[in-house]
Amino acid sequence: MTALPLPAVRPLGERARRRRRTLLLCAAALAALVALTSLGLASGQVSMAPGTALRALLGLGDPGDVLVVQQFRAPRVLAALIAGAALAVSGSLLQRLFRNPLASPDVVGVTGGASFGAVLLLATGASQLLTPLAALGGGLVAALALGAFAWRGRVAVGRLVLVGLAVQAGLAAAVNLMIVRFPAELASSALQWTTGSLYGSTWPGVWAGGGAVAVALAAAALQGRRLSVLDLGDESAAALGLTPARARLHLLLLTIALASLAAALSGPVGFVALAVPHLVRFLAGPPTPGTLALTALAGAALLLGADLIVLHLLPVHGLPVGAMTATLGAPWLLILMIRQGRPVDRSTS
Amino acid sequence: MTTSTLATDPLATSTRNELSCQSLELRYGSRTVVDGLDLTLPGGAVTAIVGPNACGKSTLLRGLTRLLDPAAGTVTLDGSDVHRMPARTLAKRLGLLPQQPVTPEAITVESLVRLGRYPHQRMLSPWSATDQAAVEEALTRTGTAELRDQPVDRLSGGQRQRAWIALTLAQDTELLLLDEPTTFLDLRHQLEVLDLVAELNEEAGRTVVMVLHDLGQAARYADHLVVLHEGRLAAAGPPAEVLDAALVEAVFQVPCQVIPDPETGTPLVVPRGRARR
Repeated sequence: MTALPLPAVRPLGERARRRRRTLLLCAAALAALVALTSLGLASGQVSMAPGTALRALLGLGDPGDVLVVQQFRAPRVLAALIAGAALAVSGSLLQRLFRNPLASPDVVGVTGGASFGAVLLLATGASQLLTPLAALGGGLVAALALGAFAWRGRVAVGRLVLVGLAVQAGLAAAVNLMIVRFPAELASSALQWTTGSLYGSTWPGVWAGGGAVAVALAAAALQGRRLSVLDLGDESAAALGLTPARARLHLLLLTIALASLAAALSGPVGFVALAVPHLVRFLAGPPTPGTLALTALAGAALLLGADLIVLHLLPVHGLPVGAMTATLGAPWLLILMIRQGRPVDRSTS
Repeated sequence: MTTSTLATDPLATSTRNELSCQSLELRYGSRTVVDGLDLTLPGGAVTAIVGPNACGKSTLLRGLTRLLDPAAGTVTLDGSDVHRMPARTLAKRLGLLPQQPVTPEAITVESLVRLGRYPHQRMLSPWSATDQAAVEEALTRTGTAELRDQPVDRLSGGQRQRAWIALTLAQDTELLLLDEPTTFLDLRHQLEVLDLVAELNEEAGRTVVMVLHDLGQAARYADHLVVLHEGRLAAAGPPAEVLDAALVEAVFQVPCQVIPDPETGTPLVVPRGRARR
């Protein structure tokens, strides 16, 4: 075998090119995010220029504008951004962990569990600040139930998805039952917990949920190398000094936390977690630590965009954003299912 | 093609990098695969593990690393218990190439090889000059430097195997365990991989333990031969001393002659039997 001397200067390598592409896409997503945020803050029954809206966010300008922007629009916009980012990253992690493009927290029941937990808390009349915790508890319980039913020595993804759908359906039914028995003053939040909606967004919810999501996203960002090593399969990962079972458990818990926290903010919004990772893979190629950031940005932009469509572009008022994402996402899922008939998503050698 | 004639060289009596097991028992569930094995794999040498299918070769390799916990007995590396070592500490000393590694979709050769640095990195540590140097050396040694930007899943079998060996080289371990590194390759690529192994041992001083199927190749390329039969040790030692017709017939149930390899003088197994004319 010949040992070629290394050329002194070599053209930009594939790795560098991919990284640059990811960076550019991140910048584009960030720009879209800023534009959508200004739009979200500026438009509504009281319209204002985006600049005025941004000043009002900081408490400057007309007191009426400040009130509208700070009290009504900002929490909703922020909730959309946070929930979108959390859902997308959660879906991306789950798909990588299970090596399956169909894995997604709303498909496997975690989102349903989180909604159930949140509604249960609401029914007891406890503080909204506790909603993220209750959602987290619900998500974990759903994941445990899923694990108990789907585990047969190892996780078979096909079974996981089927059991997950059953868990999701059962929990959705439980949520509906509880909402029917809600006192009248709570009935308005029914929409959020059955379809996923951002109408109920409040500052306390955004602070509590946003803080927790930020922590979980930071933790996910630190897992980049581990994830790449796990992608090599359990044997190679173990040979590289990782304990695959433990690493996977940590990542699963992180996934559940992100999906549950998102559900605490927006209810069971579907398809964002499923579709955004595919979109990112399509645009930026296979996952790297950089694409995880892109996934978060794209998820945030997508959910906010969908919410703005629901709020301003559709003639029907009061449509939940979850209905919008489902309308866009359901065909996507079908296409995936059809394409998955061809086993192309996993290369072993 | 260069032919390596290592086979009958006397072993260096170094105590470093000596992997051994004592009364090792390995099980899958209730099925005992390796049963009471006492074995010492000499440091600084190339060891080939051979034996019929399902004799426990790969299982032994898994047990020698941390992939499979022993049901009884111990595995030691220079005297310390492998299964009690922190995973990362072991990963800095011992690398393993599984029989069928999973290649992540669309990953490039360079990205794959970089993952070999994982045990040397801390969570927030940036990519260091040492890391880069190890990757470059691994790429150069395996002849994959010019393939660095290619997706691994589009490479030929031989190139892919070399990329994976490069990953284990970047890990920079003194010991290298290879599970059937030649199994899915054609003859030329088999020899390419084996020559690379010989080079790594001779030039870089790596201790290599590999599972092989071809007895002639094992005899050519290994200093030390371990023959397993039904989970037990059938024979161990320099191939020239160990490999004879009686052993092959007992272990593989193949009547044969063992003659000197006309190229290298190492033992060559020639099965008896009929031939089509």
